Amino acid sequence: MAAARRYCVPGERLCSAAEAAAGSGTYTRRGAVCAALAGCLRRGGGAGGVPQVAVLRDAEAQLLPDVGAVVTCRVCSINSRFAKVHILYVGSTPLRSAFRGTIRREDIRATEKDKVEVYKSFRPGDIVLAKVISLGDAQSNYLLSTAENELGVVVARSEAGVQMVPISWCEMQCPQTHTKDFRKVARVQPQFLQT
Amino acid sequence: MAALELLSAEGFRPDGRRPAELRKLRARMGVFAQPDGSAYIEQGNTKALAVVYGPHEMRGPRSKALPDRALVNCQYSMATFSTGERKRRPHGDRKSSEMSLHLKQTFEAAILTELFPRSQIDIYVQILQADGGNYCACVNAATLAVIDAGIPLRDYVCASSAGLVEDAALADLSYLEEAAGGPQAALALLPTSGQMALLQLDSRLHEDRLGAVLEAAGGACRAVHAVLDRVVREHVRELTALLGD
Repeated sequence: MAAARRYCVPGERLCSAAEAAAGSGTYTRRGAVCAALAGCLRRGGGAGGVPQVAVLRDAEAQLLPDVGAVVTCRVCSINSRFAKVHILYVGSTPLRSAFRGTIRREDIRATEKDKVEVYKSFRPGDIVLAKVISLGDAQSNYLLSTAENELGVVVARSEAGVQMVPISWCEMQCPQTHTKDFRKVARVQPQFLQT
Repeated sequence: MAALELLSAEGFRPDGRRPAELRKLRARMGVFAQPDGSAYIEQGNTKALAVVYGPHEMRGPRSKALPDRALVNCQYSMATFSTGERKRRPHGDRKSSEMSLHLKQTFEAAILTELFPRSQIDIYVQILQADGGNYCACVNAATLAVIDAGIPLRDYVCASSAGLVEDAALADLSYLEEAAGGPQAALALLPTSGQMALLQLDSRLHEDRLGAVLEAAGGACRAVHAVLDRVVREHVRELTALLGD
């Protein structure tokens, strides 16, 4: 049986700020760490060995894409200047409602940015790994970038509707019709591949 | 026929309560599966339902998004069958807009909005039966719904109304007591820190009496906090038991 766990409610004072750092689901007020969620108390070592106190809820709370986070998105439409995407996952957590994002032409690749053609990098329906570079301003959505080796298209379907196999960093081939298509392919790290 | 006394000679109100006594409070969390958070509350005969969505991407004009905080969007509406006579306009009239604005102000003080920049949190409250203390029931229901949705809160927000009848301060007014026209105050309190999120006073009140009315309201808010606290702890315990571990 699990050890007796402590439940806390919002506003409850957990400990003083000197004893532990405020983890997720908590905030500090007047030198004390207080709970911000209704859930289970978890004490643990945080980053750097500093003891941390966090409140966990069983149901997933909505996560927001943060600057620097790697997100999984699906391309909805492309343009000569940018590609519009729907952000589906933040890291490995699925989002309850999709957020909209934009990948500008100059953020698709790190090298030879002016020679990039969006039509040869993404197509509508592709699943892309990208990194959030900005939360956007009053007019725009989240700005994403694929200017790294590990970012880019991971799943794409050919015109025949079959999932394509990557050949190089800029080409994918359909296993059925053997036609080659241009995409900006992601070099997925071996630990994320399922064999 | 003798007029209805708001406070009898023995110190009883029309519904048999003592001046500082609250109406029976019943609450349930997680009543709906689709919204992120929901709650239902009954304070005496007043029944209120609150539903929370969020935090999610801004709907509507993106220029209204706040760059460092979440936008709290509240809507208050009364069901057409909630009052004695059928209500013509459930929402959009001046009273509802004012209530929505008060709710927004109250919850912007309590929700940790800095954690969700450029997003929106929607709180919808519906009164199913109005018998006095509408705003207070809404605030209490919305607090439970926000906790159910897992949105970080600084503290509970507990609200209660209080009035004055012949030098005696009454807590938690019913519709009869509100309609009598005496001074009445609605207080929304963050109980642990004792901070007030909203204080609204109708009709005129001498400043010497303000202390008594505020005390009655404060005491009532703390009593509401005790009940809501029990409901939340039971709900959390139930949830963790259902999910195992």
